Amino acid sequence: MTASAPIAVIRTRLAAAPASLYALALLFLVLALVVPRFATVGNLTNVARVAAILALAAFGQAVVLVTGGIDFSSGSSVALTSVVTVLLVPSLGASEALLAGCLTAVAIGAVNGSLVAWLELPPFLVTLGMLIAGHGLASLLVGGVPLEAPASLGLSRLSQGTAGGLPVPIAVAAVAFAVFLVLLRRTVLGRTWYLVGSNARAARLAGLDVRQSLLLAYVVGSLFVAAAGLILTARVSSGQPNLYPSLPFEAIAACAIGGVPLTGGAGTPAQVLAGVLIVAMIQNAVVLLNFSPSIQLMLIGGLTVGAVLVQQVAWRRPSRAWSAS
Amino acid sequence: MSSLEQRAEAARPVGTWDEAPAALSATGVVKSFGATRALRGATLALYPAEVHALVGENGAGKSTLVKILVGALQPDAGTLVLGEAPLHLGSVRDAVAAGIVPVYQHLTLMPHLSVTENLLAFELAAGSPLRGRPRRCTPADARAMLAQVGLDVDPRAPVGRLSLAERQLVEIARGLGRDCKVLVLDEPTAALHRGEVDRLFAAIRRIRDRGTAVLFISHKLGEIEEIADRVSVLRDGQSVLEGSPRAAVSSRTLIELMIGHGVEAGRIPAPPADAETLRVEGLTAPGVFADLAFSVRRGEILGLAGLVGSGALEAAAALAGAFPVRQGSLRLDGQPLPTGDPVAAHRAGVALLPGEREAAGVFPGLSALTNASASTLGELASFGWLRGRRERERILPWLHRLSVNPMAPGLPIERFSGGNQQKVLAIRSLAMAGMKLLAALDPTRGVDVGARAVIHEALAHAAAGGAAVVVYSSDLEELVALSHRVLAMREGRIVARFSTPVATSSVLAALTGAAP
Repeated sequence: MTASAPIAVIRTRLAAAPASLYALALLFLVLALVVPRFATVGNLTNVARVAAILALAAFGQAVVLVTGGIDFSSGSSVALTSVVTVLLVPSLGASEALLAGCLTAVAIGAVNGSLVAWLELPPFLVTLGMLIAGHGLASLLVGGVPLEAPASLGLSRLSQGTAGGLPVPIAVAAVAFAVFLVLLRRTVLGRTWYLVGSNARAARLAGLDVRQSLLLAYVVGSLFVAAAGLILTARVSSGQPNLYPSLPFEAIAACAIGGVPLTGGAGTPAQVLAGVLIVAMIQNAVVLLNFSPSIQLMLIGGLTVGAVLVQQVAWRRPSRAWSAS
Repeated sequence: MSSLEQRAEAARPVGTWDEAPAALSATGVVKSFGATRALRGATLALYPAEVHALVGENGAGKSTLVKILVGALQPDAGTLVLGEAPLHLGSVRDAVAAGIVPVYQHLTLMPHLSVTENLLAFELAAGSPLRGRPRRCTPADARAMLAQVGLDVDPRAPVGRLSLAERQLVEIARGLGRDCKVLVLDEPTAALHRGEVDRLFAAIRRIRDRGTAVLFISHKLGEIEEIADRVSVLRDGQSVLEGSPRAAVSSRTLIELMIGHGVEAGRIPAPPADAETLRVEGLTAPGVFADLAFSVRRGEILGLAGLVGSGALEAAAALAGAFPVRQGSLRLDGQPLPTGDPVAAHRAGVALLPGEREAAGVFPGLSALTNASASTLGELASFGWLRGRRERERILPWLHRLSVNPMAPGLPIERFSGGNQQKVLAIRSLAMAGMKLLAALDPTRGVDVGARAVIHEALAHAAAGGAAVVVYSSDLEELVALSHRVLAMREGRIVARFSTPVATSSVLAALTGAAP
């Protein structure tokens, strides 16, 4: 073995890394050089806090995207989780209420998953319907106005506390990332999601339980989203039927920017994380530069389309030919 | 002199191939994709007024060479010469403008537009969409274009109403509308039945006789024998036969040139006399098949033979739960086997080897390894945890054993040739530890001779390992050669039972209902 072998290994590893990781590194360097006060510990912690919530939603979204589906209902899952939790804190106490919030999300995921898996309805419409109906239900539960949460140590710790030296939201997102990574990479269930997303008919004929795996994808996805909802609830300290309505769209955008194709069967946890961090850094830089928030929306929107464009060009090049031309 | 040579002579009043300049030639063509060298010195010369067959195993570099000839790919090295001038093709449009017209394997006509509008599509594409009015095309013009391929249909009819073969002829006629010097036909007969093939061949001869060079790519050696004037063979990206007259090489020689070694006809070991594994009783799917009853022993290969619509394919699929059944029962080792449920069938030890690779077989975007292990995930995991090492230990020996090429388990499956994809699908079944029944549905469809032999060995291996194997194949010769017994099906019923060896013609007679 020659001395250059490890370098070659590193080189192939680098070449295999998703393009969005390079984009992330480049963006970080540019922002650190151009934007004053960007690369400070305080600000980067702030970026991570914002990223944590988006990351949780994006992990949930990515699980569904890998199966070839899409989940718009995370917007109302967050709202219902929030409303149910706050409603139940007085009677059940904080930790039981949090659990009830999670169960609400599980129920939403189970309904989505059942409709997609057994009735074979298109995920786009099922989850869009759930988004609208869920907001309606959340609004009904609290009479249309935000419900102030009773002072509760358990709830406020979710947003203000620290765990292992990290702010709780960041710690939760970090643990969630580990779960997300292991689930997709190291379990039969995760592998089945990729197979189903790549070719559902082939998966069925190979003897895989496609329906069960789809149901679990929507349930697991909703659980990640529920974690985002609980942290948001703790931050605003109230149950809001209209909490973060753009969350599903930002999560989809983050996945797309990271390079997860919306056609299913592909996408890695690292790509999702990179997409989330790119979005969070841009949002943060726009604030630091005193640009209007409208600019931020335009940037994220443009970036989403741009990222898909880059993917398309990269995908088309090798096989352009014969069938494409 | 054979009839073929006589025909070739008759078609060519002046000159021979060696005297006239080539219509299109490619010399020393090299093309790599990343680390894979798809072509390493391929040479092909097409002369006016000839049908030139290009053959080779899947993965030999045929499609790459063809793509280079039609401008869809650019070679790393090598030269193209059109007539006597060097040729540089940046795109398929350049090629069409130069008179090299590809006819695609997947038809590219617009079904809702009329025949005339489709015939004009190239003209429209050649101009700018905003500049100028499209050229007018009268029904008489369109009829004249269609007459070139011997097609007589109403030019105003929507293309979607034509048969597949007619659409293909329209597509060829469209290509001839240009100043066509070279016509490239990539597996044009893949989806045609025999009568349609005859019609296509008549059109090809007509086109050849007016002086066009026709490049004909096909897996079917019988067709090549029938239509080709000369033949070139590619193996591992190199030309191993450069335009030899077809009559000078036998089909057997062609096969040996393609796979690089001799072929010996293997004989499958006979199954043990006892040990019935699968028992089928009264299996019925209304309108498809009815009242099927048979049993299969351990180690036995049973062939289900039938023409399209006979229900044989569906019956084989039903054994693996992949086709819904109304009545009847399946028993595997005495245990009832649920019907219409692939998951339950899989759990009971039934494996399915599909022939429709793209629709029902491969997982695009995922690696060969992942594709191969899809039916064994449960065995390779403990408590839901996937063991990567166990997965590689189980699958990699199979990849070697079936000589999957390239031997790159991490490569996405779509980067493999069709034959190698099919080997990976076979491994998916073979790797199942407790496989009791293997249902193979047209397992060698669109696969080259080399991979075909490997798939046959794989089926024999599954049988030798103690599984019952049920095969449906659209290739009757193959089915008869491969099976211990053959059940002939017609109109959803078993009409005859044969033990091999048996003459293919007697099975065919049973399938078609002809008197034996």
